[in-house]
Amino acid sequence: MRIQLSLWALAMLPALAIAQSAGAPPPKPSQGEAIRWEKSFPAIESGKWTGKRLSDGQPDVQGNWANTIANQNNWIDPQAGEPGARPPKTARNERAPSRVSDPADGQVPFQPWARTLQQEFFTNFRNPVKPEYIEPFARCAPGGVPKSFTWHGYEIRQYPGYVLFLFNSGTRIVHLDGKPHLPGSIKLWNADSRGHWEGNTLVVDVTNNNAKARLGRSGEFASDNVHIVERYIFDNGGKRYNYVATITDPTVYTQPWTATIPSRRYGLEQGDEPDGWHYEGEIANRPGKPPMDEYYERICVENNGGFGQVATTQAR
Amino acid sequence: MLKLHSFVRAGSAGKQWSLLRAATGALAALLVIAQAGAVHAAGPSGIPRLASGKPDFSGIWQTTSAADFDLEPHSARKDAPPGAGIVEGNQIPYLPAALEQKKRNFEARTTTDPRLKCWTLGTPRGIYYPEPFQIFQRDRDLTLVFQFGHSVRTINTNGTLHPEVTDNEFWLGDSRGKWEGDTLVVDVKDFNDETWLDRAGNFHSTELHVVERWKFLDANTIDYTATLEDPKVFSRPWNISVILHRHREKNFQLIEDYCYTLDYDQYYPVPHS
Repeated sequence: MRIQLSLWALAMLPALAIAQSAGAPPPKPSQGEAIRWEKSFPAIESGKWTGKRLSDGQPDVQGNWANTIANQNNWIDPQAGEPGARPPKTARNERAPSRVSDPADGQVPFQPWARTLQQEFFTNFRNPVKPEYIEPFARCAPGGVPKSFTWHGYEIRQYPGYVLFLFNSGTRIVHLDGKPHLPGSIKLWNADSRGHWEGNTLVVDVTNNNAKARLGRSGEFASDNVHIVERYIFDNGGKRYNYVATITDPTVYTQPWTATIPSRRYGLEQGDEPDGWHYEGEIANRPGKPPMDEYYERICVENNGGFGQVATTQAR
Repeated sequence: MLKLHSFVRAGSAGKQWSLLRAATGALAALLVIAQAGAVHAAGPSGIPRLASGKPDFSGIWQTTSAADFDLEPHSARKDAPPGAGIVEGNQIPYLPAALEQKKRNFEARTTTDPRLKCWTLGTPRGIYYPEPFQIFQRDRDLTLVFQFGHSVRTINTNGTLHPEVTDNEFWLGDSRGKWEGDTLVVDVKDFNDETWLDRAGNFHSTELHVVERWKFLDANTIDYTATLEDPKVFSRPWNISVILHRHREKNFQLIEDYCYTLDYDQYYPVPHS
């Protein structure tokens, strides 16, 4: 039986200890490891799409993608580690900027009560003495919007009328078909997504959020009144995109704010190797032909684990 | 011909009205098909096709059968509506020891069906489970998103083989499809033994091997059959058959059902001041 060991284990010291005692080799640094520690990233302007298109006219952005700066540990200081971890040795300006790109101070503009609650979640992350301190993601809940883009790599598949996101935890269907949002009383972990293309930019209107997912282990959150307008701005080389989302929620914030998550493509054709983290593909079995990646099923709650392990059975 | 005859007998005004109604009906039907994404390049047989000419199963599908309650014929009982079953020959050919296990499963079904924990349903159970699933199709694969758990099954149709590693244990199996004319034939193996085949406790081992056949009966109906073999559990291969209907309700869509989150939903109330 094969077990896919993720670098996620690094954040889970007991799990790592088990893995080491079982003789598992430490995860080797890969290209994916290096690039997820980018300190800065290029801006990408919205504009014309001059790259490949699908037969229905959509820009072809299918394939494997992942964020380039850090995982979900800390929303506003992405490379500072998880709450309660040893403080980083670097100065703040030597680490990637806050995922809050507006306002300029990089802070989520919480109302005072909401700031207090976020700090409560932050402070109790390592010692969850109440059930609500346990990040729902750790119970296999979908990452939600926008946190899913700061977790493992994910695959984008496109179809006439749809963009499909296959995350390590959860699946998101973006409708391009012009159908209206679901009735407002329906609330969902991954919300309800209606999109359209404007040149190189996929614009998605996101409502019906159940507000149960958090933005990071650092405890940031929204309410179920939140309205998110996402702009996925793809560079014409097809190698990168920036996720830029305007997040409005008068229940929780004092003003709308903007989240920015830089992301890059992963693929065999550009020299990447699947690493079980940013690049989750598997190598397809096709003797005599060039290597090609493919995607296995993701299983989480069934395996009593904290993320989408594949091809394993640990329920017994 | 019968319809034309009735038009004529309805008289002049009635005839015009009937023709108008017929035209409106045809237009509405076209709109429905267009909304369902079924019109790409309809071939001579009137079924939707990809540009490549292969049948296009894109859409949202669901069975109306009672298969998930019990694959075998059964009278009504407290936890199941009656059903004639979907097993060819009615009975699943269990080996003796496996039949005893099935009986134990049946007795404990109200507590031990993996469905009750919202676990991934498996193959073929996801296909006839009474919640919709959506097929997204490209030349290289079909992606099945099941509303239940929003789990994702990929059927590869790009000539790739099952993984060389033979001890994978997938919840949905590993699916490799090929076309035989307009029929998609899918070979599925590398299963675990955690899933049930229905709510009545019918089960399988890791040796399960499923061969599915997907074929359009018409543009909005799929004839789905599967052969199941498992030398540890069944004495011979056996067949099931269900019909899948396209959801054509206005604005119909999948609504995520991560039902396992309901167990801890209470701990995450909507934040408010």
